[in-house]
Amino acid sequence: MAEKRKVRITDISNPNIYPLAEVKPTDVIELPPPYDKLENLPGFKKLSEQTRQAVDDSLDGVVAVGVPKPKTPEEEKELVEKFISGLIKLFSKENNWTFLQPLVLTMEHCAKCQTCAEQCPIFEASGYEEIYRPTYRAEILRRLYFKYVKPGSTFLKKFQVGDIELNWTLISRLVELSYRCTICRRCAQSCPIGIDNGLITHELRKLFSQELGIAAKEIHEKGTVQQLLVGSSTGMTPEVVRDNVSFIDEDLSERLGIKVETKWDVAGADYLLIHNAGEFLSWPENPAAFTILLDAAGIKWTLSSDLVGYDGVNYGVWYDDFQFSRIAQKHFEIAKKLGVKAIIMGECGHESKSMGIIAERIFGNEIKTINAMTLIEQIVFSGKIKFDPERNYFPVTLHDPCNIVRLMGIVEPQRRVLRYLAPKFREMEPHGVENYCCGGGSGFAVMSPYNFLDWRVQISGRKKFKQILDAFKDEPPGPEVPKYVCAPCSNCKGQIRDILDYFGAKDKSGIYYGGLVELVVNAMADLKEPFIDFSMM
Amino acid sequence: MPIFEWNEIKIEVDEDGFMANPEEWNERVALALASTEGVTELTPDHWKVINYLRDYYKQYGIAPMIRKLCKETGFTLKQIYDLFPSGPAKGACKVAGLAKPTGCV
Repeated sequence: MAEKRKVRITDISNPNIYPLAEVKPTDVIELPPPYDKLENLPGFKKLSEQTRQAVDDSLDGVVAVGVPKPKTPEEEKELVEKFISGLIKLFSKENNWTFLQPLVLTMEHCAKCQTCAEQCPIFEASGYEEIYRPTYRAEILRRLYFKYVKPGSTFLKKFQVGDIELNWTLISRLVELSYRCTICRRCAQSCPIGIDNGLITHELRKLFSQELGIAAKEIHEKGTVQQLLVGSSTGMTPEVVRDNVSFIDEDLSERLGIKVETKWDVAGADYLLIHNAGEFLSWPENPAAFTILLDAAGIKWTLSSDLVGYDGVNYGVWYDDFQFSRIAQKHFEIAKKLGVKAIIMGECGHESKSMGIIAERIFGNEIKTINAMTLIEQIVFSGKIKFDPERNYFPVTLHDPCNIVRLMGIVEPQRRVLRYLAPKFREMEPHGVENYCCGGGSGFAVMSPYNFLDWRVQISGRKKFKQILDAFKDEPPGPEVPKYVCAPCSNCKGQIRDILDYFGAKDKSGIYYGGLVELVVNAMADLKEPFIDFSMM
Repeated sequence: MPIFEWNEIKIEVDEDGFMANPEEWNERVALALASTEGVTELTPDHWKVINYLRDYYKQYGIAPMIRKLCKETGFTLKQIYDLFPSGPAKGACKVAGLAKPTGCV
């Protein structure tokens, strides 16, 4: 391998270095056969000249956000000024009371020991590309913080952290760089002094969105904005979602020979179940399995057809505190209106984080939240339902969604369920709180613009794909045995689907994916027909 | 936005090749977009899928569930992939002139 040019922190401001870094297929970590042949893979999609004229690809030749180039020097100057004022806001209590403390701690106390670097799946999978190092991004913000925000002698501050030139080249590249980290926070977990470099990504995106109006289209314009406007980031209005769910109910009733009937807006229900609305469109078995399981357990539950009430996603959690709050407030208002005791969060990682960790602290006096993993565990071991584990005859491995497992510490419930109901369950390595991100975290799974899909599959999802293949290495390698990756999170499922599609892993290796609740319902002894049908997956 | 050109067709598309102005769609445009899928001829089976997608889109403003598409057209998911190699969302919807699906789908 050719020696890589070492990228320095200050290089990010230098427009003459173009691109700042580049990942080549030969740099990345190897995958087991038959996925080890680089020549069989489509390389990174080349951007057209038109695209390269319109948006900035100077970070690494990859475009996730597509920052438009300023048209005039005045516009450029204005954006740089906005960035500085936003930077100052980021470090002020009145503007950032939520995250100021961990942010300042991270700025002030990183010892640069690089323990975190070894934990980052993107840094590792890319063949240790310097710009993806967790401290690279943080160090840029640190120098800017010392230069523009922190009081004290300019000379001393430069001596402490080094200088950096703030210009549009830096800002534009930093936007893209804040979308090269999935905020999986393995780095934060490993830090011996509690520094959170994942938070840096979040804070940078926030600054860009809230102060410069720059965010990934899929998570802002087509995400939170659309969700607040029509009710769901998928574009489903209440009418469409109800129509889709009645189709799912009918379809499953017909196939299983039982009555599947989802409930809407039930006054007096104990629980409001909020799915990630993507489930209805892409993985309809998941919400259907919840309907079957909750009814079988005798739980009094309902869905809501109020705007936003049927879509638990809150993309604000990745990039914008204002958008986050608007959506979180809606969810809790709807639950309050229905008079339920608690919100059951469907199999969705960032829904779990946004509702269960952040919003519950604000609105939790009135409404509590329940995570799907713990609820499913309670139902499975309640003795109310008869199971035949042998129905899950195929090998199963478990992916740990970062928000549910590493962040919330919900590690064992889903494992106890799988050890009981999936006789061929085996862990990935590493697993639990040490598990790797699917590579689609922080919104990546819904972002495929320009050549970003290539990057998120080949780089950010690479460790995950390797883990999946390794978990099934003792099984017949071909498609003759179906292998199930249990990924109890919509976002992770989207990313895992894209990885498997990209590498053709369903056809080559028989690898399928789905949620947890589908495996539980598949093992219900009273069902005459199998719930999981691989031919439809 | 990039311009996509094919024979006499010249249309504006987004960064994934979906039409920027879906109202400009016609049967020739469908054929042009199909070429990006490696499809050179649109058979009656292709049209069955395209017509269903367009009718649904006109009524509801978004793409239908994949399962619904299969059930209403009578094709399995695999057959849809055979017709449109990038699949129902990235392939068939694009050829039918629908906007790119959004959200966690």
